[in-house]
Amino acid sequence: MSEAHPQPAEEVLPPRRLDPRTVLIRALPGLPSAILAVPVVLAASRGGGLTLALALMILALLMGVALISAWLSWRMFTYQVLPDQVVISRGIIHRSRRSIPAQRIQDVSIKQGVLARLIGLAEVRIETGGGEKDEGRLDSVSLAEAHRLRELLRGMSRAAAAPATATPLSGDADEPILFRLRFGRLLYFGLFRFSLLWIAAILGAGQYLDQVLDLDWDRWVQVWDGARQELVSRLSLVFALGAAGVAIGLGLMAGIIRTILQYYGFRLSLADGRFRYSRGLLTRSEVVVARRQIQLGLVEWGLLSGALGWCAFKVQTLGGSDHVSGRQELAPFARPSEVQPLIALAGLPVFDRSGLRPVSAWHTRIALIGFVAIPASVLVVAAIWFPLAGLLLFTLPLPLVVALLRRRHHRYALAETSLQVSRGVLKRREWTVPYGNIQSVTLRRGPLQRRMGVTSLRIDTAGGSGLNGPHIHDLVHRDATELVRRLAERVEAARSSAS
Amino acid sequence: MAIELIPLHPLERGYLSVLRIRSAIVWLTLSAIAAAADAGLHWRFGIPFGFLAGLVFGWGVITVVFLVPGRWRRWGYAFTDRELHVANGWLTRRHTVVPVSRVQHIDVSQGPLERSAGVATLSLHTAGTEQNLVVLPGIRRERAEEIRDVIRSRISDAPW
Repeated sequence: MSEAHPQPAEEVLPPRRLDPRTVLIRALPGLPSAILAVPVVLAASRGGGLTLALALMILALLMGVALISAWLSWRMFTYQVLPDQVVISRGIIHRSRRSIPAQRIQDVSIKQGVLARLIGLAEVRIETGGGEKDEGRLDSVSLAEAHRLRELLRGMSRAAAAPATATPLSGDADEPILFRLRFGRLLYFGLFRFSLLWIAAILGAGQYLDQVLDLDWDRWVQVWDGARQELVSRLSLVFALGAAGVAIGLGLMAGIIRTILQYYGFRLSLADGRFRYSRGLLTRSEVVVARRQIQLGLVEWGLLSGALGWCAFKVQTLGGSDHVSGRQELAPFARPSEVQPLIALAGLPVFDRSGLRPVSAWHTRIALIGFVAIPASVLVVAAIWFPLAGLLLFTLPLPLVVALLRRRHHRYALAETSLQVSRGVLKRREWTVPYGNIQSVTLRRGPLQRRMGVTSLRIDTAGGSGLNGPHIHDLVHRDATELVRRLAERVEAARSSAS
Repeated sequence: MAIELIPLHPLERGYLSVLRIRSAIVWLTLSAIAAAADAGLHWRFGIPFGFLAGLVFGWGVITVVFLVPGRWRRWGYAFTDRELHVANGWLTRRHTVVPVSRVQHIDVSQGPLERSAGVATLSLHTAGTEQNLVVLPGIRRERAEEIRDVIRSRISDAPW
């Protein structure tokens, strides 16, 4: 599209504002909850004498304030693309002016919410290495402007990175697709994302709505109770089975719907050292992952889908992530044979299962003590006073199985260029961390571990959350210190060879 | 523990006094609060004055005299040219290894108490998440600056 409108980089345009319709988009989402609040306010002030007119006036006032503040922040927000940097000024009282140098711009992603899609707006995010999440966010500009900015900024950062070689601008269309989720597979994927949690959420939402709308729930309960007593007296077993069936059906539906909403039209492409994936049915987002920002690779195998040979490939990146965990899914549901080339393209070494070593046998024993023995004794004691607590004892076989299988699934290896760790019983995870991306290593020994002579190793990497990191638990103490020593050497070696 | 990664240096004795004074301030404050509560209890329920404050103060004395040195002793550090080791923790022991080349930036700081005791705190920032700040308190200021200068000369200009 940039071919049609040549944009000489030298020409400096004056600072621009975001699209004025942004004001509406910012103020509107508050409206439904405000309207819902009216009956609540009225109900609460039943004795207080707040009239409907007064409540509506307050509502109008609130809406006015929201609109004005949205307008003000729109008014005070400008962005300007200079030849070698982007300048974003914002803030009503506390003005801030941030400039993003061209060489720090990794790429530009575009995201569209439902409302924005309806009126043709898009959120543009300038991806930089690290920094805060909102650093280069333009929320929102018109779609045409978003595309224009993307072409402009990409050209700029490319020029800054390599002034001599003028690579042709690649549009979306001509980038080769590395991986895509077709609709059939998407549905299949949804089956594995069965979730009872969502049923609970729906029920919870129902109850919330019920409170807000002041429905006569008690009456429904009475009707239901009457019906149930009638039913229970005859076909309690059939009824229970039916209810379970409905719950499972709803859970499957919830999983499929959630998956379609989230992953519809997932496709991954690679150009100029950057992965780009887009996905989503209602909220369509396009995310860019620069290859040099990739800190580690992670392959996840679900309990059921993993057994059937499906896995997910994720990478952890530094900054620019859409995900709270800092992890990006490059292939959410794929065969290992499809993931292999992606791992290679991401510049990560192959995960070699044959070279993995197990951790200490105490890994299982400590879990047996912590997950099974202690909860069991607590429950037995509790059952003396509350017999119902005894029922929870029946849930203990699951942790027992997990504890017993734990050591089998927890292995590690120092491969040629990367640390490789596999862990997890219900969800198996396989990490590949290039030595150059390890930030620090911590040996950790709790009181119990100290007694057993085992040590855990926590590997700190950039960009990821602490939970579910490539940690190695319960190593024999001697092995742990030896491992740290070798790891530190390799980290240092990787570092000096890189620079 | 039988095998350690590397022989560790203890912190300066001066830092023990710093820890003791800090702990004493905390416990004195708590004792004062307890004394105020005591006054209330005495007035309302006739509980002998000084019961609560005495308990708190007593435990504070035990902490300052016996527990703080224990905690101080658990600290240790070592600096080879390539990595900094910092160990601490009383119940759960931690031993962190930071390769020098992974340090993003580095501070040497000295509070008023530390200054009077002649010790300083060395803080290393890495690009990591859990351990993005590794703090080594209670070393001599000259030693801290020496370590800082060695590390500074080796911080690479690669982005991360």
